[in-house]
Amino acid sequence: MAEEQFDPLGLFAELNRQKVTYLLIGALARVIQGADELTHGVDITLPLGEENLRRLELALEGLNARPRDHRRTGLQERLERGDEVIPFQTDKGELKLVPLPAGTQGYDDLRRRMSREYLGHGVRVAIPSIDDLSRMVGAMGRDQDIERLLAMRRLAELERSLGHGLEL
Amino acid sequence: MRSGWLIREARLRAGLTQTELAERTGRDRAVIARWEQEAVAPSMETLVEIVRACGFDLPLVLVPYDTGRDERLESNLNRSPERRLEQLLATLSSSGRKRG
Repeated sequence: MAEEQFDPLGLFAELNRQKVTYLLIGALARVIQGADELTHGVDITLPLGEENLRRLELALEGLNARPRDHRRTGLQERLERGDEVIPFQTDKGELKLVPLPAGTQGYDDLRRRMSREYLGHGVRVAIPSIDDLSRMVGAMGRDQDIERLLAMRRLAELERSLGHGLEL
Repeated sequence: MRSGWLIREARLRAGLTQTELAERTGRDRAVIARWEQEAVAPSMETLVEIVRACGFDLPLVLVPYDTGRDERLESNLNRSPERRLEQLLATLSSSGRKRG
């Protein structure tokens, strides 16, 4: 089987080009905050207003996104019925939409403590704080996430001790 | 492990404000705020009580302390986010080549 491409910068560039408002979450966000994990997918959460969803649809079109779960239901309908994760395969890699990340009240809950990080090639991405990313991992309540959770909490301690962190 | 994070994480996961948590636990909001800011720390018993007021429990278990992990995390923190992403992509590329 041909190996799937993973080009997160290309994926973010298209989302940014269409001016989609979103936050990167999940494993890639944790890696960018300093976690020691491997991932080959992009998870985002976003405000679900009409205009932002219209922009997202344009970006999905530009990325040649196909539902990874092969469901034919439209994006709006899937959001309305409360799908927890909406996965797409795009030409730049896997993209998962998570309307309400575990342990949070959604995008507005996370954006207050987010930061914008430069990732190269002119691409900046908004990412939740380490504490909020830890909260999401903890809320998933899966045994396999315990190591990740310990690492995230340790990361926050180290960050504060190194003076990178911002106390809120 | 720091108690301020746990209180804040439990409160936010429960969708409570500091005032609401204070009301639930019969404490002053300023006390909750000082705990979260780690200006002062509650006792272990109080910490468990606060976490339970948010609808969670706090099982305490001992796990091995991985010093190697600290070194890796410190090394990552000393890189820029751009370098962290580059490092990930290089690792994925390398593991893909090994598989192929």
